[in-house]
Amino acid sequence: MNWFWRVLDIVIGGIFIYAGVLKVVAPVRFAGDIENYHLIPWTLGVRLAFYLPWLEIFCGVALIVRRMYAGALTILLALIVVFMSANAVAKMRGLDIKCGCFGHASDNLGFVSHVALNLAILAGVVLLMRRTKTAA
Amino acid sequence: MRRFLLRQVLLLLALAFVPAIGEALYFRNRISWQSPVPDSQLVTVAKAKGWGTGALWVDARPDEQFAQEHFPGALLLNEDHFNQQLPNVLAAWSPDKKVVVYCSTKECGASRAIAERLRGEAQLKEVFVLEGGWEALQQAAKK
Repeated sequence: MNWFWRVLDIVIGGIFIYAGVLKVVAPVRFAGDIENYHLIPWTLGVRLAFYLPWLEIFCGVALIVRRMYAGALTILLALIVVFMSANAVAKMRGLDIKCGCFGHASDNLGFVSHVALNLAILAGVVLLMRRTKTAA
Repeated sequence: MRRFLLRQVLLLLALAFVPAIGEALYFRNRISWQSPVPDSQLVTVAKAKGWGTGALWVDARPDEQFAQEHFPGALLLNEDHFNQQLPNVLAAWSPDKKVVVYCSTKECGASRAIAERLRGEAQLKEVFVLEGGWEALQQAAKK
């Protein structure tokens, strides 16, 4: 079953690298996407727009090369939980937002598809964390 | 174990700062750090109306809202159908025209996003975001 966990590492790591790279090439757009949530001031959001994509990339790479593995999983779990919470709050407040999670690539995804995708990623991260704890 | 985990987390958090700072320095003159839209890219209703035929109005709201009502002469261009609607806008554009993009309210981000894409993807120079959006246009019409 080892191959299953390696594939899951690569898939989850790859998703975060892909999402990070899309945002790294368009930070202004990502800053706008963060602003659309109306949760934090622009001055903070614009700084996060430069930082978070690189954090996603580093954590994605860490999963694939299995270095700082547990740390990367912890950060990714926190990111996905915060992101899903922000999405839920925005939905409750009736905001019609583009999530910005995959840059232009996610423009045509509806709210339900976003939730399903996020839940799938969350499930993958949690599975990897459980497996790490069992192995330790 | 917890200490080990904490060290990994802190190291990853710190590592991400390095390229982020480099990228922020690279973009430092191309982004507004204090407000979503720099003052130079904002325009008031009165000023935009004053441009007369020199302004090309772009409505960034959803299709249904545009169909209900829109500013006379405005063209529809929203994020949902950007690629399909863009040729229509480009056909109406000429180098002497200033593009004025509006969405529903002051809080909406659609006009900012569309203006950004018009500057970046369509390479248009004079693109402005209407302060207050459609709400401000309606208030101005009542006066």
